[in-house]
Amino acid sequence: MSEPPLQDNLTGHEYDGIREYDNPIPGWWTWLFVAAIVFSVLYYMAYQLGTAGTSVAQAYDAEVTANLRMKFEEIGTLTPDEPTILMYLNDKEWLLFGQKVFVGKGACASCHGKDGEGLTGPNMTDDAYINVKRLGDVGTVIQHGANNGAMPAHINRLHPNEIVMVAAYVASLRGQNKPGPRGEEGSVIDPWPEAPAPQAPVEPTD
Amino acid sequence: MTTTHTTAPTDPALSVPGTLERFTYDDKIVRMFLLATLVWALVAFLVGIIAAVELAFPQANQLLSILTGGIVSSEYITFGRLRPLHTNAAIFAFAGNTIFAGIYYSTQRLCKARMFSDLLSRLHFWGWQLIIVSAAVTLPLGITQGKEYAELEWPIDIAIAVVWLVIFGGNFLMTLIKRRERHLYVALWFYIATIVTVAMLHVFNNLVIPVFGGTLIKSYPVYAGVQDDFMQWWNGHNAVAFFLTTPFLGLMYYFMPKAADRPVFSYKLSIIHFWSLVFIYIWAGPHHLHYTALPEWASTLGMIFSLMLWMPSWGGMINGLLTLRGVWHKVTTDPVLKFFVVAVTFYGMSTFEGPMLSIKSVNALSHYTDWTIAHVHAGTLGWNGFMAFGMMYFLLPRLFQTKLFSKKLAETHFWLGTIGILLYIIPIYVAGLTQGLMWRGLTDQGQLLYPRFIETVTQLVPMYWIRVLGGTLYMAGTLLGAYNYYMTWRSRPKTYEEPVHEAPALTKGYTDPPPPESKIHGVTDFGHKLDVWMQFQWHRKWERLPVRLTLWVLVAVVVASLFEIVPTFLIRSNVPTIATVGPYTPLELAGRDIYIAEGCYNCHSQMIRPMLAETERYGEYSKPGEFVYDHPFQWGSRRIGPDLAREGGKQSHNWHVLHFKDPAQITPGSIMPPYPWLLQKDLDFKSIPLRVKAMTILGVPYTQAQRDNAEELARAQAAMIAGEIVEQNGEAGLEDKQVVALIAYLQRLGTDIFKTPEPQAPEGGD
Repeated sequence: MSEPPLQDNLTGHEYDGIREYDNPIPGWWTWLFVAAIVFSVLYYMAYQLGTAGTSVAQAYDAEVTANLRMKFEEIGTLTPDEPTILMYLNDKEWLLFGQKVFVGKGACASCHGKDGEGLTGPNMTDDAYINVKRLGDVGTVIQHGANNGAMPAHINRLHPNEIVMVAAYVASLRGQNKPGPRGEEGSVIDPWPEAPAPQAPVEPTD
Repeated sequence: MTTTHTTAPTDPALSVPGTLERFTYDDKIVRMFLLATLVWALVAFLVGIIAAVELAFPQANQLLSILTGGIVSSEYITFGRLRPLHTNAAIFAFAGNTIFAGIYYSTQRLCKARMFSDLLSRLHFWGWQLIIVSAAVTLPLGITQGKEYAELEWPIDIAIAVVWLVIFGGNFLMTLIKRRERHLYVALWFYIATIVTVAMLHVFNNLVIPVFGGTLIKSYPVYAGVQDDFMQWWNGHNAVAFFLTTPFLGLMYYFMPKAADRPVFSYKLSIIHFWSLVFIYIWAGPHHLHYTALPEWASTLGMIFSLMLWMPSWGGMINGLLTLRGVWHKVTTDPVLKFFVVAVTFYGMSTFEGPMLSIKSVNALSHYTDWTIAHVHAGTLGWNGFMAFGMMYFLLPRLFQTKLFSKKLAETHFWLGTIGILLYIIPIYVAGLTQGLMWRGLTDQGQLLYPRFIETVTQLVPMYWIRVLGGTLYMAGTLLGAYNYYMTWRSRPKTYEEPVHEAPALTKGYTDPPPPESKIHGVTDFGHKLDVWMQFQWHRKWERLPVRLTLWVLVAVVVASLFEIVPTFLIRSNVPTIATVGPYTPLELAGRDIYIAEGCYNCHSQMIRPMLAETERYGEYSKPGEFVYDHPFQWGSRRIGPDLAREGGKQSHNWHVLHFKDPAQITPGSIMPPYPWLLQKDLDFKSIPLRVKAMTILGVPYTQAQRDNAEELARAQAAMIAGEIVEQNGEAGLEDKQVVALIAYLQRLGTDIFKTPEPQAPEGGD
């Protein structure tokens, strides 16, 4: 294969046998470089010189508002007390929501097992409880913790509605009697009260 | 040869010839550095493979410990301790020795001069190897500053500054001054930029206050939180720029035209891309910190300068690839050129991907994932590694004055390496995208689609195994290279010939050629001036004045740095203070030092970004004011495990005890190794007052009582936590063990901002 003839001019420089062509800088290189500079100036002006609504914090706030609306628009903000928990105890859709909080955001599964069967924390699927005497206590323990921090408080970590749903989910596990490493702990308590008949969504509280 | 003609006048016509001098080149030092390159390459790759196996198979460190008969305790080879060893070995040992071998070989020839001092050259070699060995000893022992790519502790840092700047820099600059070639070739400009900038970065990022006492090798950086992290990524990013890019571009500019026997494509492009690269690179560091607590203006600057860096980087690639015009057929037969072409191609790929990853919305997906890991390995294995091996095959016959033992083996090395790189990066790109998308996936109800972090980990394990295969192939290629090296060395002559060269000494009375005239018509005077300027004769003058050239490089990098550093440090609004954030207690501080020593930051970030998917998973996003007492910052760059910024109070003390003992027992599928020694080893209570004292010097507001009674306070808090562990049905007798300090630290993380008077849930109502 023969070398194609090259018309380029040499600069006349030579270093240890290395020579240099005097070729011009490719046009596409120059123009992409210029375009990047122009874009950068415009971008900085658009985002950093005080344009309203463009900051990361503002974008985040909008995202959170939209997300809360998507999640809770139909139910408003709930109070994690016994009647409210009871109301959601048989609501399949919201129990699924509670289950996601249980394994995820609430980090409950890390101690109580993925399905509530117990691990370093007690089994949630049997009829015996340590700090729960009635349904409302489930919400209280989740909010404020128990047993000297063995059960951490979640009041700063979860939205009140998330506490309601995860409490309802935990309560719904009762009676599944999944085998876990810890066995029955505490004492057997009375069954949960009868769930009310499904009803129309409650009025938003705010 | 082809039809070429010369336009510019040649130098000899213009200068008075000096007296003819005779000299030889010091090739022994090149042989020494080349051997060190190969040895450290194998070490770096082996450690990399072990670290890779540990991610796929977390019991690997225990298994390895058993296989070595317990000589290597599993404590010293956890991923958290091996990963810094791998990065330091790959960058500073393998790439470092490559650079030195190439610079010592090419500088002497480009300057027509032997290195200024053979003694300095030897001191450089042995000093650098000693630094590497001390890194290899201290990092597994957990002696670390806890900042990525700046892990080495202060005594080693001082050694690096002396060996790099004084010995290597001095020797190099004096060689330039003693040179017999009037003008400096572009490769030398890149070497100058490397030496000057790495010295600056290294010194300013490693300003620390040592903790003195006993055998403790420990220090705290003078910067905290946002500022420490800003300085660290100014350093970290520019280590890539000025340790893995500029010196290797210099090597390319020397070895590529040499191996191809072709002139460099464009002198003008060399000038423009050199200066734009040097000036722009320095700004780009903050792109490692998008969406973090770093002020947004700095992050935006990091992004736009990264975009502007695209063409300056590609200038090097096209100048390299277009140099091969007309000789592409040689690439098919010459392994040296094969390595170079693939290296430059990977350089082009990485320097396109880099600006792309610096775009905020892309970075939102890629940050903390394996995507970054794939990106850097395309750069290091492809660009740095293949430049090193291409250079090695070029040098072997010349240094050992014999034929290369086997061209065929070199070809095999090339193919093993190339397939190895692909088998490394493709699965890791897939892993990065998978993980990024799984983290942010939301259900129709607005909840996380994969709420359990472990699901996003176990999904990646098959990819991690393919990476092990890729890395092993790459190392197998290197072993073939080592064999080829050894066999070539064996057939060396009894004594090396040392050819004597002749060149006239440079004389003082040099006049530059007259300024060129503008040949374009129909433009204004300014147009003519611009045209003349674009002939770059002004630059040609700089090229014969090395000290001036060096000073201009220094000005370029210092000015660019100050534009970002000064506002970051001086504008108070950059770090709004939070009244409830206080210093760590003495015990928590000791626990934090264990966190750093174990290298937890290599897998766990402590920086929640303001994104829904992050706050849903980890809690309220991190604020700059939360880190004002963090010397050093521990934001991390990768989430092999979950973020820990809000870990405080998330789990019980006893959960942590059990989890440290055996993470997989608590989280099935966990790839975190067990840390049983934390429950067995005594906490060094005696050193706690020294740590508190050093922090006080840095301005952390410890009370007089805390300073006077640091040890007693720590013991009291430890006893309290140990008591709580027992109450939580945990094991007794942990009050003087390391685990208690570490738990104290973890339980403090991210809790201070909730101490506000109004007990408001982090997300409030709608």
